[in-house]
Amino acid sequence: MTAEEWQIVWFTAWVSALSTVTILPFGLALAWALARRDWPGKSIVETFVTLPLVLPPVATGLILLKLFGRRGAIGGFLHDQLKLDVIFTWRAVLLALSVMSMPLLVRAARVAFEEVNPRLEQIAQTLGAGGWRVFFTITLPLAARGVIGGMLLAFARALGEFGATIMVAGNIPGKTSTLSLAIFENVQLGDDPRAFRLLGVSVLLAFTAVWGSEFFLRRKKAT
Amino acid sequence: MNFRLIKILFVGAALIANASLHAAEVTVFAAASLTDSLKEVAAAYEKESGDKIVFNFAASSTLARQIEAGGPADIFFSADEAQMDRLEKKGLIDPATRKSRLGNSLVVVVPSDSTLQIKSASDLTNASVKQIALADPKGVPAGVYAKGWLTRQQLWPAVEPKIVPTENVRAALAAVASGNVELGVVYKTDAAISKNVKIAYAVPRADSPDISYPMALVKDSKQPAAAGKFLSYLSSEEAGQVFTRFGFLLRE
Amino acid sequence: MSLLLKNISLPLADFALEVDVEMHRQVTAVFGPSGAGKTSLLDLIAGLRTARSAFIQLDGHTLTDTVKKTSVPTHQRGIGYVPQDLALFPHLSVRWNLLYGCKPGGVKDPSFSLDHVAEVLEIQPLISRGVTELSGGEKQRVALARALLASPRLLLLDEPLANLDAPLKAKIIPYLARVRDEFRVPMLCVTHDRFEALALVDVKVRQTGPVSEVFTRPASAEVARLVAVETLQPGTIMSVNDGLATVSVNGITLTALAPATASREVFVCIRGEDVVLQHDPATPSSARNRLPARIVSLHPEGALVRVELDAGFPLFALVTRAAGAELTLREGEAITALLKAPSIHLVPRGNCC
Repeated sequence: MTAEEWQIVWFTAWVSALSTVTILPFGLALAWALARRDWPGKSIVETFVTLPLVLPPVATGLILLKLFGRRGAIGGFLHDQLKLDVIFTWRAVLLALSVMSMPLLVRAARVAFEEVNPRLEQIAQTLGAGGWRVFFTITLPLAARGVIGGMLLAFARALGEFGATIMVAGNIPGKTSTLSLAIFENVQLGDDPRAFRLLGVSVLLAFTAVWGSEFFLRRKKAT
Repeated sequence: MNFRLIKILFVGAALIANASLHAAEVTVFAAASLTDSLKEVAAAYEKESGDKIVFNFAASSTLARQIEAGGPADIFFSADEAQMDRLEKKGLIDPATRKSRLGNSLVVVVPSDSTLQIKSASDLTNASVKQIALADPKGVPAGVYAKGWLTRQQLWPAVEPKIVPTENVRAALAAVASGNVELGVVYKTDAAISKNVKIAYAVPRADSPDISYPMALVKDSKQPAAAGKFLSYLSSEEAGQVFTRFGFLLRE
Repeated sequence: MSLLLKNISLPLADFALEVDVEMHRQVTAVFGPSGAGKTSLLDLIAGLRTARSAFIQLDGHTLTDTVKKTSVPTHQRGIGYVPQDLALFPHLSVRWNLLYGCKPGGVKDPSFSLDHVAEVLEIQPLISRGVTELSGGEKQRVALARALLASPRLLLLDEPLANLDAPLKAKIIPYLARVRDEFRVPMLCVTHDRFEALALVDVKVRQTGPVSEVFTRPASAEVARLVAVETLQPGTIMSVNDGLATVSVNGITLTALAPATASREVFVCIRGEDVVLQHDPATPSSARNRLPARIVSLHPEGALVRVELDAGFPLFALVTRAAGAELTLREGEAITALLKAPSIHLVPRGNCC
């Protein structure tokens, strides 16, 4: 493994971790709302949340490209007002990984929240705890296993993201080159040994993340 | 209900098989930059000959890889000699049929609403140029040529950090057209295709590496006769006129 | 304390709960059969449910008013809740469960301190344990203590004795009494067992009508009959032998089944339907209690006649009109009242609730 290859591994790992952290606040809020609240149009929200799981990743990537490009609705604002570019930078990688892995976190966290006995939350309220306190002291701790499992699953998904990433970030060496992009490129160029080395690291990372996730998501034995 | 569906499928398959018995189908793996011109050439040929031409357009390096892996190509039309050499070394093409007829030139393109002025190659090193789209210079011919040009101008080290490598030259063109990069280096023939870009600088022939588009018959072709026919047509006067109209140079 | 529940209309599974009542007592028992909506009512008072229409006021503070569309959020109502499943937080130790509702900055009233409450409810040795290690009775006391430590203005208890076997019930009742006496927090208990309702409530002896507060239901006559215990008299157990207790009521001796509790001071509860009347005192029967009595008054109630008797203490009988006619009951007449030992229910009073 060369220094360049290690850089790719390191970059992939930290952007994936950062994406998992980034989606946490919104993802948990969404999961909680889906678990505990009902509203007209809820099924539409549920569908949108699941969409990145089912759409071809390049399709999602294309949508992001249009939105966050310099001429796009969001990208235009960022470029003109904040002098911030997303497309073809590491931020695009973060964006792609976040969008693609969010559904996994939301789904796992939602199930975890649904399994918390609402009675406990209600009694906490009678003891004087307002909404935020109930969430952080009762709901979240009791849902912790499922939430962590979901985070690991999201992390694993981010590690392996390709389709959306290549659309919005390209494969710029040293800047946006992730493990999956690098493997693809090396296969294209005919550098099989390098591709296989990167593949090996990929498998190792993914295996660990998924194994950890399964550990947390496994049903607790009935007490 | 299921039986009916199966019957329909059988009939459909028979019809398709029947159709292909009468006309040959030639599969051409061709460089992305040839997309529009080749399609037009093929359309004319199909009318004349009754054969069907099927295309697979991609970066020449990608196509070479696919042929190495056994991809079902009858003809390989590359954007540089290096990829053709790669296959010839492995004995995958028939060297007797190898011919380099077409050439091209490089241009620097910018989004059509851009105010950027490029007077010379060194302008690419300006601070106002943040990102430059190129087909991947590690293997895709358009990128390799562009890198060659900039290396000769001794600008490559300064420019390299700004490079956004894309999968093929058309993707580089699209990146410029979308406005997400300030400029890109593509073939002159590509610049003409998109309405959203304009040429900011034409790389002089003297500065640019020699651009050459070799084509050859793939050894494992299933349609060597039909493929050979089309290959000859590609060298014909009619085909040449189409290519020239699109901006390609003829190298005879 | 005063708790007003007015204009309450709450649609439930197959009926609508309607309540309109004022409660002023220190301890109030709400009685109704299972499924009558008792828990829903408690949820409503605590602010955990909304009703189609409701007006709830506690000690002059309006908690819910659907007309004005105001509702105080649950965590600001200061109403403690001990639900039927206790809802102890499984991820926290007993200590942190107890401290959950404590307001930061210490308690103003030292009687609400952790140590004092733990002492009164005898849970000090449990404090460092995990919640899952506790027994049923221990969990009950911890849940009670936890609610108390939040210094509530009112305590709601849902079936506080339902999950306990008889000996445990007898043990918990004194704790509830202590809560009432030591902490002076008004309590609203909900139960489906009429005798528990009696045991829980702070009762001034009443001769007539239902003793506990009730819901009104569409079939209110039925409910009244379920709840009503026509005869309620204080008595003292003189002795217990062979499963039978000898009880003295106003000097009259009755034989009843021995109760589970050890207390001597009891209420003697006799339902009107269980009193048999006959003219001839000498006819042998299986009833252990044969009381000479005088008919004080007769009140026809539909197909029944309510007979008020003086048997040395006020005793009420419910007989059919036909029976009344056959026996030619007349006011002022002497008659014999027969009571079977199992019909005489003994409910602890005095140093219990």
